[in-house]
Amino acid sequence: MRLTRLSLTNYRAFAQVEVVLPRGVVVLVGDNAQGKTSLLESVFFLAAFTSFQTSQDNQVVNFTARGDDIPVTRIVAEYERAEKQHKLEIRLILQGGSAEYGTGRLRKEILLDGIKKNAAAAVGHFNAVVFIPQMSRYIDNGPEERRRYLNLTLAQIVPGYADDLTRYTRGLIRRNALLKQLQEQGGDAGMLDYWDELLADCGSRLISARDAAVREITALASPVHFTLTGMEENFSMQYLPALTQVEADLPGDINELHASYLARLRGNHRVDIARGTTSIGPHRDDLRFVVNGNNLADFGSRGQVRTALQSLKLGELQWMKERTGEMPVMLLDETLAELDEHRRAGLLESLAECEQVLLTTTDLDLFTPDFLRSGQIWQVRAGEIEISK
Amino acid sequence: MAGLPEPLQDLVDAFSRLPGIGPKTASRLAFYLLNSPDEVSHGLSSALEGLKAGITLCPECFNITLAGRERCEICSSSQRDTASLCVVEKPLDVLVLEKTGAFTGRYHVLHGVLSPIEGIGPNDLRIRELLDRVRNGDIHEVILATNPSMEGDATAQYLQKQLAGSGARVTRLARGLPVGGELEYADQNTLLRALAGRQEL
Repeated sequence: MRLTRLSLTNYRAFAQVEVVLPRGVVVLVGDNAQGKTSLLESVFFLAAFTSFQTSQDNQVVNFTARGDDIPVTRIVAEYERAEKQHKLEIRLILQGGSAEYGTGRLRKEILLDGIKKNAAAAVGHFNAVVFIPQMSRYIDNGPEERRRYLNLTLAQIVPGYADDLTRYTRGLIRRNALLKQLQEQGGDAGMLDYWDELLADCGSRLISARDAAVREITALASPVHFTLTGMEENFSMQYLPALTQVEADLPGDINELHASYLARLRGNHRVDIARGTTSIGPHRDDLRFVVNGNNLADFGSRGQVRTALQSLKLGELQWMKERTGEMPVMLLDETLAELDEHRRAGLLESLAECEQVLLTTTDLDLFTPDFLRSGQIWQVRAGEIEISK
Repeated sequence: MAGLPEPLQDLVDAFSRLPGIGPKTASRLAFYLLNSPDEVSHGLSSALEGLKAGITLCPECFNITLAGRERCEICSSSQRDTASLCVVEKPLDVLVLEKTGAFTGRYHVLHGVLSPIEGIGPNDLRIRELLDRVRNGDIHEVILATNPSMEGDATAQYLQKQLAGSGARVTRLARGLPVGGELEYADQNTLLRALAGRQEL
């Protein structure tokens, strides 16, 4: 799939910009803080309805627009999927709070081909894979980052995942509130039954989708990694479900998984009430990245981490292609500068398979003249875009 | 900056506390009353005073009714089917169900739903009274008509468990596609429920 047209209004540095995108490679070049990354971020927003660099989406609303009566940020995209044209529009409306500091509530409106949809229904129509330097936080930071990575990737591809995740999260908040209430005031623990069933129902589908995706992505990423490292490293990603600790202990059948999960939730009533929180479930899951049997978080060098992420992203790209039949749009931010020449060549080579790639750089010298000739070069300066070739 | 004179400001504040009314609408209403003939504000104030004094809850179904009545109109009617009971969240729900004319039994108003977030438990609702009614009356069917929200569903399921063994048949309102709607606009959850609850033609 590929974007054909993109228009941004009040999006970070861009007051108003509209571009027509070609097939193949677009190189965004410019100094730092000119809006290159914001442009990639806006494209990823079309796929995930959230930013890849901040969990506070209201920061994307343009600073000067925040002074308006009704600050609205608009991302409008036309894209081609399976040879059909579609239109996706996202409106971000900042309400209440201190608009100047972006503390208000952000209301999202999504229109797919002119029809208003909620995020869970609209996700998955436009797909993108993002590769940015900050991704080392998948490995360095806590499990929350890794769950966010899984959620943003799976919601795009697995039907029903986003919906299950929303329901699971809402149910979890309510179950936890009820646990606190039972802890403080006592009462009938039978009120937990409904929430146990709701969590086991949505949760078992989340677990099973994560389990399958992690195995499939690993299978595609590890040969890439093997080649990139000159046959020296074996890469794998391991899913650590909070339910059973190890992936191997998960029941393979979804009905069995549901039954054992529900039994665990019921068995945990006493512990959960004492803690005032739900102790097992997908909200406590984790991922581990392993190279040659060692946990990358403990033993990996910077270079190893970068290479592993590169393999992961290329695996993810293939996985989306296999699952949907469509190559997602690839977004790369400054990542090439961090790679050695051999790895950079490997990456650029695999990008040739993509229908569309958007990449940012401060330095055009990182690319071969051949590569630059194959794509368009856009100069990004202070929120304006100029097509220089 | 000079504010409004106190009596006017008091009224604006009072209006702002009402649901769906913001500060601008509140001032507009207050100024409207200030500029209207005296009858308008007198009419409003006597209506307000009469509201609380004139309305009470029916001791049987807990729907709102005229003060001084022993039981509400529905509970005291001999035309209503006493064997069937419809459980709703709030008095307004009785009104909309009555408009359909399709239900001939009697009601029970819970005055809310079990809500973990707002800290509302079974003792905050008219649940004990419902169980007593079903146990002591000759009730054949209890229709649970709470909203199809997470809280409404949780409440219905809780009631269903409490009512098990009472001998009454416990049913839940059907859920699915809205009449006159389009499939294209239905969300996934509604569609899934509609599929699961499909009926033979």
